[in-house]
Amino acid sequence: MSDADVIVVGAGPAGSCAAIAAARAGRRVILIERGPFPGSKNMYGGVVYPRILDELVPRWWETAPIQRWVVRRSTMVLSETGALTVDYRSNAWGEPPYNGATAYRPDFDEWLSRQAVAAGAQLVTSTTVTGLLRDASGRINGVRTDRPDGDLSASMVIACDGVNSFLAKEAGLYTATDPANFTLGVKETLALPKHVIDERFGVRDDQGVDIEILGGTSGVNGGGFVYTNLDTIALGAVLKLPKLAAQKKRPEEIIATLKAHPAIAPLIEGAEVKEYSAHVIPEAGYSMMPTMVTDGMVVAGDAAALCLAAGIWLEGVNFAMASGMYAGEVAAAAVARNDVSAKSLTAYTDKLNATFVLRDHKKLRKVPGLVLSDRVQQKYPAFVTSVVERVFRVDNPQPKPGLRRIVREERKRAGIKLSQLIRDGWTGLRGFG
Amino acid sequence: MTVVACLKWVTPRADDDDRFAGISAADQSALEFALQSAQPGEDVVAVCAGPVGAERALRDAVACGVTRAVRIDLDPRASSSAVASAIASVVTEARLVWCGDYSLDRGTGSMPGFLAARLGIGQALGLIDVTIAHDAMTVVRRLDGARREIVRVSGPAVLSVEGSTARLRRASLRGVLAADTATIDVVTGPSSVVDTVDEKPFRPRARALAAPAGASALDRVRSLTDAGSVTARSETVVLDPPAAAARIVSTLREWGYLG
Ligand SMILES: Cc1cc2nc3c(=O)[nH]c(=O)nc-3n(C[C@H](O)[C@H](O)[C@H](O)COP(=O)(O)OP(=O)(O)OC[C@H]3O[C@@H](n4cnc5c(N)ncnc54)[C@H](O)[C@@H]3O)c2cc1C
Repeated sequence: MSDADVIVVGAGPAGSCAAIAAARAGRRVILIERGPFPGSKNMYGGVVYPRILDELVPRWWETAPIQRWVVRRSTMVLSETGALTVDYRSNAWGEPPYNGATAYRPDFDEWLSRQAVAAGAQLVTSTTVTGLLRDASGRINGVRTDRPDGDLSASMVIACDGVNSFLAKEAGLYTATDPANFTLGVKETLALPKHVIDERFGVRDDQGVDIEILGGTSGVNGGGFVYTNLDTIALGAVLKLPKLAAQKKRPEEIIATLKAHPAIAPLIEGAEVKEYSAHVIPEAGYSMMPTMVTDGMVVAGDAAALCLAAGIWLEGVNFAMASGMYAGEVAAAAVARNDVSAKSLTAYTDKLNATFVLRDHKKLRKVPGLVLSDRVQQKYPAFVTSVVERVFRVDNPQPKPGLRRIVREERKRAGIKLSQLIRDGWTGLRGFG
Repeated sequence: MTVVACLKWVTPRADDDDRFAGISAADQSALEFALQSAQPGEDVVAVCAGPVGAERALRDAVACGVTRAVRIDLDPRASSSAVASAIASVVTEARLVWCGDYSLDRGTGSMPGFLAARLGIGQALGLIDVTIAHDAMTVVRRLDGARREIVRVSGPAVLSVEGSTARLRRASLRGVLAADTATIDVVTGPSSVVDTVDEKPFRPRARALAAPAGASALDRVRSLTDAGSVTARSETVVLDPPAAAARIVSTLREWGYLG
């Protein structure tokens, strides 16, 4: 008999949800994590959208280690000195069943892994999976770890080992890796007293704010974010890898410049840097996804590039949780049927296609490219902010100029062709669906 | 006979977050030596006086190969002496008792000494090198002034080692999986083990002074503080040690420092 029915590699959001689903279905599950505890090695910007957890952990909000509930979502466009912000607030998001929340990953991932253990999965930490085992027919039937006597056999494996998945690559599920498909996310965690954060961001109690930023990344294509935790602020940037390399800029310099922007500096003034962290993001989304299944294995979460990084959205945890859950369900059923062939496992891809996991990705597949394009990055922020600047500026005794004239003049000044603007606008409209 | 490893579980953070808790490098070395020094057929027992969370350290020890794990449920504020008594009550028939000489919370390393006294066996503490041989072990102690003491240990003894002495083996995957469900024996330690613990910062005891004499406020301040006066109260005497000690005490009493 094999050591387990299902081995899940990686106890991030994808892995823990896969383990919960498979264990609940009665399978023997071993969940392997390389860190000393789940979440210990993980970072992200800071906002989770756990709606999908309704299906796995009913009333999750009562036990999940949440920092603040997001009641304000803003998108900020930054020029060198100006800022245009669209800000939406709904205090209803601060009440059950809630919408988004800020949380620390070492807390959140550890909590989620405890749900997997409660469901019956066995969690093994401080253990790195170093390779896949296969039977005579080439079907994956276990993993090798870095521990002595470290081979484990199983009916099937779920790879949830995060971005740049070595397991998916070893299984041959990715074609060549293109650095242009990745961005580097860097983040500072900045400490301030809670009441100061409350005042500066206009929130109370456990209400929180999510700000996504376009521009402000020192000419390196990407974006920024500012999220509120209880007594820290997460401030970071997401930077396109080839551009970062070509411009020879250090990510921490870009963060420093962003922090000094007149629209950002007052928010974080006096804060103490508690932590600096960085991680790669599978930014290209739909266009870089691997084959999701092979004989004896399925891939979920970032390992399958299921991270939605499209401008005003930076969502990966919810996609990881959902894909992990479906992977766990499908794996459990396949093991029960005693058929873990790739064909049998296409039920997983079907499930992804039928739900938001791939539908959102398909709908928004053009958006990451558009948002990271040179025009949107280099020209539009200055163009948009100067249009707004002129609309709001009072130049008496001059009469107010018409909006069309302002747009035309500023478009020319920014060097944007009308045809391009229309094309990008159309792509954006279609892209955002 | 058994070989014992004593492990101290410490949660280093003020919020008692168990995720960051563990045992010191010295305790890890002790565990490794316990495993190495056991003779065929001998039990290796890991003992930890601590809260439920400490069972993680014991499971890790089981994964590494100890044959029995005992947790003594004890108030975490228990003194070294009380911890030693509690451990002594569970490690009967011990041939070797390995301890770290330094816990994660900057301990004093005194528990092993107490333990040797309670068990009535030998001790070799603060070891920086250990050579295990079949009949007797050779160990090296660190002494002050860069000196070393080389000790042969043959009889039952408590040994405390520094963290640099050994690297704990990596548990096998099978060991880790089995340790999850291994039995941890739980022994309830004595309940009143907390010595009078003074958690206030150290302050020297107050000294009663007579009200200062003097007509003006300035005079009174002067007499109170000795400020401005010549106070050559030093004196050099050569005495043999007992007389010197007696002289120090009498002088301190004369100056009002002793009750
Ligand atoms: C800067 C930044 C900001 C982000 N902001 C957000 C945000 O605000 N909201 C959001 O929803 N998403 C955000 N994301 C995306 C999100 O972090 C990921 O999409 C999500 O973490 C994916 O979850 P996962 O479980 O697939 O992978 P991961 O969270 O990466 O987990 C993988 C796990 O596998 C373990 N592992 C890896 N290899 C092995 C191995 N060989 N053996 C054993 N264990 C292994 C790792 O230690 C880790 O625990 C952000 C990402 C970055 C980098």
